Amino acid sequence: MNSLPSPINRRNFLVRSAGAGLVLGAPAILRAAEAPSKTLNLALIGFGKQGKVLFEAMSNIPGIRFQAVCDIWDYNRQAGVAKCYARQKERPNHYVDVDEMLAKEKGLDAAIVATPDFWHAPHTIKCLEAGLHVYCEKMMAHTIEAARDMVRAMERTGKLCQIGHQRRSNPRYRYTLEQLILGNKICGQIVNINAQWNRAINSSQDIGYKQNLAIKPDILQKYGFKDMHQFMNWRTYRDLSGGPISDLGAHQIDIFNWFLGTAPNAVFATGGNSHFKDREHFDNVMALFDYDTPQGQVRAFYQVLTTTSAGGGYYESFMGTEATIDISERSAYTNIYRESSAPSWDNLVSRGFLKKAAAPAPAASDSGDAIKSYESAAPEVYQLPGDLNKPPHQPHLENFFAAVRGEAKLNCDARHAFESEAPIYWVNPSALQKERIILTSEHLSV
Amino acid sequence: MKAEENPTDSLALAYGAITARIWLAVRAIQTAVEKFAGTAVAETAVQIDGQANSYGLTDASATKAYALSNYHGVPAALYEKFATEPLMPAWGLKIYDKTLGPALLLLGIAILLGVASRTSLFALGLLYTSLTWGLILLGEPGNSGVAWLAAHMILIIMALCLVRYDRFRILKKW
Repeated sequence: MNSLPSPINRRNFLVRSAGAGLVLGAPAILRAAEAPSKTLNLALIGFGKQGKVLFEAMSNIPGIRFQAVCDIWDYNRQAGVAKCYARQKERPNHYVDVDEMLAKEKGLDAAIVATPDFWHAPHTIKCLEAGLHVYCEKMMAHTIEAARDMVRAMERTGKLCQIGHQRRSNPRYRYTLEQLILGNKICGQIVNINAQWNRAINSSQDIGYKQNLAIKPDILQKYGFKDMHQFMNWRTYRDLSGGPISDLGAHQIDIFNWFLGTAPNAVFATGGNSHFKDREHFDNVMALFDYDTPQGQVRAFYQVLTTTSAGGGYYESFMGTEATIDISERSAYTNIYRESSAPSWDNLVSRGFLKKAAAPAPAASDSGDAIKSYESAAPEVYQLPGDLNKPPHQPHLENFFAAVRGEAKLNCDARHAFESEAPIYWVNPSALQKERIILTSEHLSV
Repeated sequence: MKAEENPTDSLALAYGAITARIWLAVRAIQTAVEKFAGTAVAETAVQIDGQANSYGLTDASATKAYALSNYHGVPAALYEKFATEPLMPAWGLKIYDKTLGPALLLLGIAILLGVASRTSLFALGLLYTSLTWGLILLGEPGNSGVAWLAAHMILIIMALCLVRYDRFRILKKW
């Protein structure tokens, strides 16, 4: 590499990437027209597992106040109230029903939606139409049509709607894309992507509950659950969620589309119920995506396993002619491999763009020595120069609050999230039909 | 011949007494101090081309640090195991966790300075006995921890036997 560009900030990157004609992944153009009061009044809608994760990520962010908590389960709702009180010494109002909350609460600025997927669209749209800005967890919705409705609602109301693809605000991911892939082009031409989320079988079991804490059947049915088991395990039901490819895969397939700056033109998937035979969704899914990028064709393989954790955990691997970047929310899974034929990176290391990892110990001689002559030279291993020192969801929430105040643009508004998520909605149909699906604008556009 | 009658033997026994005392005191005091040890993480912005990066990437370096807030009497992993033991009442575990560090510190200082050496050494022996009981309760494989504590007990008994020859004590009574 003869000349190395200077470090670029986000603004420079926007200008450059726009010039490069990226289709997807450019940060959103949306920000609030007027900054509301300095302290943002929030409603927490859904205080289950993911709601708690978001709450913990928000607990370090100044200038926000939890005004209301809404959850149909008393157990979650009371936990939310208690956690809010512990943080702000002020008890938030609490509700079972979102409509009641929106009717009674005055002065809300934004809502944080972390309900089951099939409630994302109704809750988000109600909040947007009530004049609130919305941060909604991914997957946007359980159906592509509901996701389309969310985009339309955002654009109709003019309110902000950030979707919880939190990697989009993660400094490690942003740095990797902007500085390493686009800026210094360390990968050369990206030709393949390989990603996975392998989760252990004991982490994939049905979630239980104590009988004395169960929600009354009439309330469950009112909110779309046939029973308490379905309420606790909605991720395994086809009418309520997209299954593992949506729960786990959506985060990572979003990175494919964001980093490549385009959507795939075809998907072929396979899946099955290898272990959890009674579940409506596949327990293991594998998908192949085909991309046409300005640099050439890219093939991407993604697998999600809920039966096996071995094989490296969860990461996305961008494989180029000169380097491969393995990136993950966990820095332990993040490594960068320089092909032996690639230009030296010594200059990048000395300038601080990369850190060189310690050389691995030489492998012991084994019976495979006879075929070593067929192998390529082992690539050198490098690492990102730094890490994220916050909970992984915090930067994305900070970006949302800054946008609400008019101080930043959203990193993943509903339209961009939709364009990136749309191919994921076609994975399960491809696996069910056992057919390759050619993705057209009809499949991928709002 | 009595030891007191031979000045050389008396000096050797005095050295033996104070050596045992110092060893046990240092062992107790530093063990107590380590219960206040934790990790202080210093984070600095990653420098690229000599300037702090604009992404918020940080480089963290962890250093050992001591603070009252770090205190943990019984290590967390052991605490969880004790909490499930039927012979260990929850209130007892809580009190033990709170008092173990301060007790080691006070006894260590008392033994080092020679304050009521017999009583303080005896109390330290009781404390190590309690630790031994805990390890037996948990069924430690190999009982190496129990053997290690037994070595401490032998030193305590030796120190008690040598107390009468110890000339360097602040409070010789008790």
